[in-house]
Amino acid sequence: MSRVLVLIRVAFANAFRGVREASTTSLLAVLTIAVVLMLVGAAVLLVENMAGILDDFGAELQLTAYLEEGLSEEEQARLREHVSAAPGVERVELISKEVALARFERIAGGSELLVGLESNPLPASLEIELRADARTADAIEILRESLDGLPGIAELAHGEEWIEGYARAVALVRGGAWGIGVVLGLAALLIVANTIRLAFYSRRDELDILGLVGASRTFVRVPFLLEGTLQGLLGGVAALLVLYGAYELILPQLRYGLELVVGRAELRFFTTGESLRLIASGAGLGLLGAMTALAGWRGEA
Amino acid sequence: MGEAPVRIYHVSKSYMAGQYALHDISLEVSRGEFVFLTGASGAGKTTLLELIFAAEQPSEGQILVLGRNVARIGAGAIPALRRRVGVVFQDFKLLDDRTVEENVRLALDVVGTPRREARTRVFQLLKSVGLQHRRFHHPRSLSGGEQQRVALARALVNEPEILLADEPTGNLDPELTIEIMDLIMAAATRGTTVMVATHDHSLLERYGKRRLRLEGGRIVEDQPAANASIGANA
Repeated sequence: MSRVLVLIRVAFANAFRGVREASTTSLLAVLTIAVVLMLVGAAVLLVENMAGILDDFGAELQLTAYLEEGLSEEEQARLREHVSAAPGVERVELISKEVALARFERIAGGSELLVGLESNPLPASLEIELRADARTADAIEILRESLDGLPGIAELAHGEEWIEGYARAVALVRGGAWGIGVVLGLAALLIVANTIRLAFYSRRDELDILGLVGASRTFVRVPFLLEGTLQGLLGGVAALLVLYGAYELILPQLRYGLELVVGRAELRFFTTGESLRLIASGAGLGLLGAMTALAGWRGEA
Repeated sequence: MGEAPVRIYHVSKSYMAGQYALHDISLEVSRGEFVFLTGASGAGKTTLLELIFAAEQPSEGQILVLGRNVARIGAGAIPALRRRVGVVFQDFKLLDDRTVEENVRLALDVVGTPRREARTRVFQLLKSVGLQHRRFHHPRSLSGGEQQRVALARALVNEPEILLADEPTGNLDPELTIEIMDLIMAAATRGTTVMVATHDHSLLERYGKRRLRLEGGRIVEDQPAANASIGANA
């Protein structure tokens, strides 16, 4: 076995020994990372699911361009083509006067209201579905300006206020989750750094002896870095398991509540990739904490 | 014979302005030579040893240890120097949570010695100090003399060119003291340069080696092994 491999083996052995011997402080570090990742993970899940719900609502958002009377089918089709090419437009559906009437009858529950009218009073229209990135007030304004005054369009109806509210809600929730994540992450970093620093001081005798027998700075540091990473890894796994347990436990109640309130209950947990990223975040947090703890140590015995 | 492994030129060490732990020390220790450092507590024996294994840096002067100038050595170069210098202390400095074998192997682990080779070398060293049967015991279950023999084995396992011992028998009874000193003496006969700090006069008489007497941070007597006294700071 080469000397480098021996040194790597010794580093891992020392790291595991460190975790084992300082089991209480190690457990504290693991729990801290687990709690932080649980909170951040829960916030991310909440945001993602909220964003999913809001996106679905957003997909239902549309502008309606009412067409002038007397346009031929060809003119309506040309207008539809023209609007389809406008900025921020995902899809355009032409609703003829007949279809509009049929819809009205369906909604009104019969045709009694239209009795006495000689002709169909409802105009043909274009229902304009917006791209996800165009569901903002600014994008709507640009689209409105490009369609306003277009020959054949009598009136443009849209729900800017609702769209703005929607965009604000998504941004607020996302921003809040980021803020919570950053604050909790920093708190975890400090706690892990202090835990590693405690471990470092509790093993001061060992470090002094290692210094006396000629251990390099790297030889002394690496086991602590591995220890921090290992603690982070365990914290990440614990957080994932608890989150999954909680998700499975509260999902039925949540689904029922959501169906009642928003009529939609398609919730999701982390994908495999996201789960691995959560665990990797724990490992990274542990490593960063250990690096912070050792930052001031220059390596003398 | 080559250049002396320890060469000290006008070295002073001061922790506070105007107060010297060592003052204008100059000396050379030849390869394979055995030197006793003697003097009362606070005379500067430990400080001198600390300067030699680069735990401290001199305030003034130059210290050349195995060709490296400790006064100018960078932190990154200290480990390599220490692997060539074995150190033994009065309080043994053993790790209680490790077995005797693991304590001795520590010095081999830091240089990446393969496990099998390390085990063989540790066994041989422990055998030479009469502790091979205790290799799986923990230090706390050993007597003071046995613990010091473990510390000695750890200091010697990398075959250092210099062995420094700071009051190695300070905690031991007379019988164990002789046992340990004989082992240290044996290292010197194999060519290791040995410096032992002690205030035990019986050892100086018994072994009759070169002795440096320190007082108030100065060498006041440098008596060679032939018992012919020469002046201080020779």
